[in-house]
Amino acid sequence: MNTVAEVWDDDELLAALRDALRAREAVPDEFIEAGKSAFAWHNIDAELAQLTYDSSRDTDYELSMRAEDASIRALTFTSAHLTIELEVTDDSLLGQIIPAQAGMIKIQPRDGAETTVSADEIGCFSVRPIPSGAFRLHCRTASDVDALTGWITLAGA
Amino acid sequence: MRNDSSVIALVARVGDGDQEAWDEIIERYSPLVWSICVRYQLNRHDIDDVGQSVWLLLVENIGSLREPAALPGWLATTTKREALRILRAGRRHEHADLPPEDQMPPDADATAIEEEIIVAERNAALRAAFAELPPRCYQLLSMLVSDPPPPYAEISAKLGLPVGSIGPTRARCLERLRRSPHLAGLFGGGPNDVDNLSGAGR
Repeated sequence: MNTVAEVWDDDELLAALRDALRAREAVPDEFIEAGKSAFAWHNIDAELAQLTYDSSRDTDYELSMRAEDASIRALTFTSAHLTIELEVTDDSLLGQIIPAQAGMIKIQPRDGAETTVSADEIGCFSVRPIPSGAFRLHCRTASDVDALTGWITLAGA
Repeated sequence: MRNDSSVIALVARVGDGDQEAWDEIIERYSPLVWSICVRYQLNRHDIDDVGQSVWLLLVENIGSLREPAALPGWLATTTKREALRILRAGRRHEHADLPPEDQMPPDADATAIEEEIIVAERNAALRAAFAELPPRCYQLLSMLVSDPPPPYAEISAKLGLPVGSIGPTRARCLERLRRSPHLAGLFGGGPNDVDNLSGAGR
């Protein structure tokens, strides 16, 4: 089998190079920068809790809510051993750890100092005021599960 | 599968905590993650979410990749899974035409992803080879791939190269590109093979 470099003539090689450079140009720089900054997470010994539900992306949810409640946004983050449910109310962020257990929740803003709240024995916690910029939650539970959410932005909340 | 020693070396360096090696992996393979998201018709916000998940999962798992050379395949599979997860997290009506994963035609889907991997690896190798060309070749080929390419008179003025030498210089530069070790591991037929594949996949 021949390598592509042996098979391609000059025009094909130039066309392939053009395609390769275009494919890179199609990717926004911020997307690449975000990927590079993800390396800050190496050596962090927490499991990643991923966004698995977001009511703002769910048109069924908005239709099913009464008008006065429709502004409540619900988010679910799931890691290997933990689920974190969040509800955004007017002035606070209400959360619950599932399975229910006590724990400590660190709120880590992208810019600014982190704060800590505790979750009661049924896993409920509240964050007030609602963080204004991007933040993530680092949750350590009584059963020693350590989970970190992806970045959350509650724009307009 | 290419036996790409440079990917293996990069993965090993990342394991030692080398940010530069990580950055290079991101530079190389972001277009792969991006193009798969585009294939699933995700919007920009969702693509950013998928990207974040994929890179964080990679940080978490890169030390345990059993076959570092399989990194592009791992990235493609993970991107696809995360894209489907984002689509399901919303169950949005605008994606109502997207069938559940188990109802997707498996062959067409697998072929499409396989094709993205082949194209991404080839593109990454070409960009790596291109970046190592001598400055003169780099400048000349950069101008020749722009759309539309400038007339030879303009290239001649910009590079201080007689119009009559542009053709032979182009040939020499492409020969250098062709001989780059980055392209040595790329096997397969002509570019038309992949064009046929993409026609079938879409």
